[in-house]
Amino acid sequence: MSVDEKKKVILNLENISQSYVIKDKVKDAVENVSFDVYDNEFLVILGPGHCGKTVLMNIIAGLEKPVGGRVVLDGEQINGSDSRIGMVFQSLNLMPWRTVMANVEFGLEISGMPKKQRREVAQKYIDLVGLHGFENSYPHELSGGMKQRVGIARAYTSNPEILLMDEPFGQLDAQTRYAMEEEVLRIWEKEKRTVIFVTNNIEEAIYLADRIVLLSNCPAQVKQIYDLKDLPRPRETTSPEFLRIRTEISDNTDLAL
Amino acid sequence: MSKENNVVLSPAELKEKRRKVIYAILPVISVAMLLGLWLLASHFSTGAFGFPSPADVWDRTVRLFQKPVKKLTLIGHVMVSLKRIGIALLFDWTFGIAFGVLIGWCGKAKAFLNPMFNAFRAVPPLAWIPLVTIWFGTGEFPKILIVIFGSLACIVVNVQAGMSSVDKNYLDVGTIFNASPAQRLFKIAIPSALDAIFAGVRTSTSAAWMVVLAAEMLGADAGVGFLITRGMDSLDMPLVLTGMIAIGIVGSLLAIITQYAERLICPWTRRKKSF
Repeated sequence: MSVDEKKKVILNLENISQSYVIKDKVKDAVENVSFDVYDNEFLVILGPGHCGKTVLMNIIAGLEKPVGGRVVLDGEQINGSDSRIGMVFQSLNLMPWRTVMANVEFGLEISGMPKKQRREVAQKYIDLVGLHGFENSYPHELSGGMKQRVGIARAYTSNPEILLMDEPFGQLDAQTRYAMEEEVLRIWEKEKRTVIFVTNNIEEAIYLADRIVLLSNCPAQVKQIYDLKDLPRPRETTSPEFLRIRTEISDNTDLAL
Repeated sequence: MSKENNVVLSPAELKEKRRKVIYAILPVISVAMLLGLWLLASHFSTGAFGFPSPADVWDRTVRLFQKPVKKLTLIGHVMVSLKRIGIALLFDWTFGIAFGVLIGWCGKAKAFLNPMFNAFRAVPPLAWIPLVTIWFGTGEFPKILIVIFGSLACIVVNVQAGMSSVDKNYLDVGTIFNASPAQRLFKIAIPSALDAIFAGVRTSTSAAWMVVLAAEMLGADAGVGFLITRGMDSLDMPLVLTGMIAIGIVGSLLAIITQYAERLICPWTRRKKSF
């Protein structure tokens, strides 16, 4: 009980709904989604197919406005993008004309930080994600995993309170994906920050999450929230407990058609 | 034994070597065939108005350096033409890029200015020659004006296309970091359109080189366009061919230079060589 009392809500979604008009028909992507996000937790949003998860992320990030509901950060409603929220994108979104260093320091450059200072900050995060020595490489010279590390470093530089990660490893091969999952946990443990991580992969969700928000198929609604805080890390994907949770979530997941 | 292994090539290496030799020989054969056809043509069509032989053209080229036409050697005439397109391109690249960025980035500016621009573009540059000649005579300015009319549209169209198709993903990154409208334009949109801008630089350069010849063929006393008309007027066939070859060589040099500049300025675009 004492653990629960220490939990501080940093972000809450209140009745978020989003719909689009596609070919004269209204399509609901997200319907009445509400949940709280606690400070410093690793929250995973798990959902089938390609329904509503990215939309939800874009709404939190301020890239699109919901048709209903509101996003509350530290007790205040936010409209549009907020410097306290950073994002690692699903499609890598690295700028091909910028080197690794220039991509990582992009946010700092935008905020007007002097060159020398932003070099130092960018270098810190380049080192943190293990890209030391690649500062002057261009994105097309990097592997998929390395590109994603650049995306993570870039998101950390602006020192966000909440880091959104939208299916960052969806396009990586299985081996690289495992390595990057460990990497993300290592960075998260070192740079305690709230992370909201979207995936459609159940193992990835259980491996990473403090809590899992399971979404339904279209339109996305919250089906259930699983608390995995008591499952010790590093988690063994073949342990009986892991498999039990996996089966439980799997049975509860809608099929994406 | 190991020494032998170094000399004897593996089947894969042999295959690769054979491939390389074939690809090295094919262009040589092509050039040799062109020369052969030329020799054949000049052999069968003799006389003053016939097809001059390569030797005749070579002699004429050498003579052009020793005995200038209208006080200028071949190099001099090339420089006159290059100066004309240089001034025109300077205007194209400043005004054309700015205009292209404006109509590619700002929807309202496009809606307003595009019909005007399309009307201008619909008229071929050579159709302007009579009007420009009547208004401005046959000096330097009207020629440069014609070149601008002939090359401006290339760069505007390319820049506009690049600016209106900036990847939304890059702009999203700008939104996340709260970039200002000016930062979105100068730090995201324009850099991402740089390869399109360079495509415009390349096409406008080659278009300018084509149009300057036409402008010079209609009343000029210097430039390579003048040189070949002079050859035609004095029935000096070797001079015509010398001019044509010089035009070809300068044209490809311009293409190589712009491509090299692109690779220097945009090292992230690994464009395949097109020549």
